[in-house]
Amino acid sequence: MTHAKLNRELHIKYWQRCLNSLLPTGYTTTDSTRMSLGYFILSALDILSAPPLPSAQRTQIRNWILCCQHPSGGFCGSPNHKFPDAYYGDGKEEMDPANLPATLFALMSLGFVGRMEEVKRVKCLRWLKSLQRDDGSFGELVRQGRIEGGRDMRYCFVAVSVRWLLRGYIKIDSVEDIDIEALVAHIRAGQTFDGGVSESSQHEAHAGYTYCAIACLSLLGRLPHSSGAQTDSEISPGLTNISGTIRWLVSRQLQYHNEDDNSDDEGPGFEQSQNTGICANTEPPLESLLINENMFVGFNGRVNKRADTCYAFWVVASLSMIGEVELVDPEPMRRFLTELTQHQIGGFGKCPGNPPDIYHSYLGLAALATLGEADLKQFDATLCISVEQRQRLEILGEEALTSRNYTCFSREE
Amino acid sequence: MGKYEGDPAWDDVVPIPQDDGEGALAQIAYADEYAEAMGYLRAIVAAKEHSSRVLDLTVEIISMNPAHYTVWLYRASTIFALDHPIQQEIEWVNEVALDNEKNYQIWHHRQLLIDHLYPSISSDPVALQKLANSEIAFLTLMFNSDSKNYHVWSYRQYLVRKLNLFNASEIKSIEALLKVDVRNNSAWSHRFFIVFSNPEYATPGSAATAYDPGIPDALLDCEIEFSKAAIFEAPQNQSPWNYLRGVLRKGGRPLATQECFASEFAKIESEEEVKSSHALDFLADLWNEEGETEKADKALKLLGDKYDPIRKNYWEWRRKALKAA
Repeated sequence: MTHAKLNRELHIKYWQRCLNSLLPTGYTTTDSTRMSLGYFILSALDILSAPPLPSAQRTQIRNWILCCQHPSGGFCGSPNHKFPDAYYGDGKEEMDPANLPATLFALMSLGFVGRMEEVKRVKCLRWLKSLQRDDGSFGELVRQGRIEGGRDMRYCFVAVSVRWLLRGYIKIDSVEDIDIEALVAHIRAGQTFDGGVSESSQHEAHAGYTYCAIACLSLLGRLPHSSGAQTDSEISPGLTNISGTIRWLVSRQLQYHNEDDNSDDEGPGFEQSQNTGICANTEPPLESLLINENMFVGFNGRVNKRADTCYAFWVVASLSMIGEVELVDPEPMRRFLTELTQHQIGGFGKCPGNPPDIYHSYLGLAALATLGEADLKQFDATLCISVEQRQRLEILGEEALTSRNYTCFSREE
Repeated sequence: MGKYEGDPAWDDVVPIPQDDGEGALAQIAYADEYAEAMGYLRAIVAAKEHSSRVLDLTVEIISMNPAHYTVWLYRASTIFALDHPIQQEIEWVNEVALDNEKNYQIWHHRQLLIDHLYPSISSDPVALQKLANSEIAFLTLMFNSDSKNYHVWSYRQYLVRKLNLFNASEIKSIEALLKVDVRNNSAWSHRFFIVFSNPEYATPGSAATAYDPGIPDALLDCEIEFSKAAIFEAPQNQSPWNYLRGVLRKGGRPLATQECFASEFAKIESEEEVKSSHALDFLADLWNEEGETEKADKALKLLGDKYDPIRKNYWEWRRKALKAA
């Protein structure tokens, strides 16, 4: 049996193209989240152990990221949200405020190109606190005193990651912290009857939100162990139904049939009886399924949805943080990614046959790295970066604190 | 010459161009029209101008980049500042939403509009009903093209809370969606929300995963029957099995109350007949709860070996947990 293979060289070329050439006009709808694209590009090159960037390019990238730093703390999603410096002042800081996810991706990206000294640490942490609502949730920005954005798990995860980056290694910090208990309560309230996690409230469980909630709890040290053992009985565990969560996560796997399909209408499809049947009344009887060595297993993000490259990461990483990644058989998933969604020009597409895009290309790599892919760096599922980079970020943070050259990244303002 | 540069109505505005600097990350090949319009928007925002030409400009930018969060926010404040008719705005938003199904900002904007409108009609039951009807009608239209659109369902939940739509007509519209596709898990999840978060009887703050003594028995019976009927229709559909478990937990009823039912879909005693892997899973949990670990173990082994081998590692892990207990 031949093992599916990740084509490392091809992926490096794909990411170098993303780094060095203009993205097509079609990416205009991601204009407000360019910082996240930048982070995916830099981190992908890191996971793939691509040749290091020339120092001049690193400096340019760092300057570009710092240009997006907001004078009141935090970062904007791209220069289109940033005004020339002379425009700020007189209460005009709010005209296009800093954005929470952009701030995480900017900080993460800075870690790949140098130092953290120029980050306005105290301002950023104060701004971060101002994004938290009374119910524990976070918005993505504050404008005219109003916290804007959904109440979902993404912002919770991003907020806790920013907190980790800027104060994770400081025991006593003079800057007031976010309300951790309210946040954990909010995450607990987002758990659904079927074991997953949704946007806050009783919405539908979703693998992306489930990952965000679990990663958040992981960074806060509030994940219960799957055995049910709780280290401190005084602290309520972040997940209310751990066995249900594990069941829900493993149930996201579905078998994909890559049949030779000569018709050009539907293309290869998923096992109808397993998960994606359309005609309710013509359900075939459940027959015993035979495992075979050419089986493809993809992951969906919600019950009865189609498989998509990115959910391989959201699900496998969630299981990994709970300490149960062995519950997934890695080989059929590798086959799905490397034979079906890996693209011939490098990168990964969303579904089999799709062209690659930055988001799915990154999460395809991340999914493989989480399962210990040989050609990729050891991976930290919680922060979605290499283990090496996580350690580096800690060192950079500590260095910035003790640096005499810059005063921005200080303990106090 | 650009569109705005050549337009006398914009003569008084000096655009603020975007400065990307050298070696920017993730540079996009912006269309000239987009770059120009953004330059004018920055100037408008810096001047804090709220006028009807701002509405035109934001329409154009949104058509090129509907994910631009501050454009939406600026448009909303302009609408409120000008007292622009909310109904008219909603009609425009409808068109944009139908053209951009995956967009999130549209739904946030719509929520701001309803929040703004609500106080002016909150004491007028007729106006409230009219609003509820037109909103639900539009959401139905959205569901016609994608009945699992997450943003639309989020907005639906917001609307239910805002207008207190925990009612029979809401349940009916879910049933209509499930009639078309009994595997629509979004509809199942919404049903759970409507039934178990109804403020009339649900205990405030009761988690979805917790027992709630406030739920009336008759209602539990009704929901159990509803999920059973859907399981009969499609035994290998995960959604109603999950729903059934959820209902039993809410009602504090043991899985064993459904042993006869589940056994219809999975017999493992003398003659083996399995129509649903979810039934086997349900029975494994049930027998474990009842202390019948041997039967539970047999069910889990069958799942791993035969009926759901792609999750073999998981079923084996469950078997180990059985033995350890």
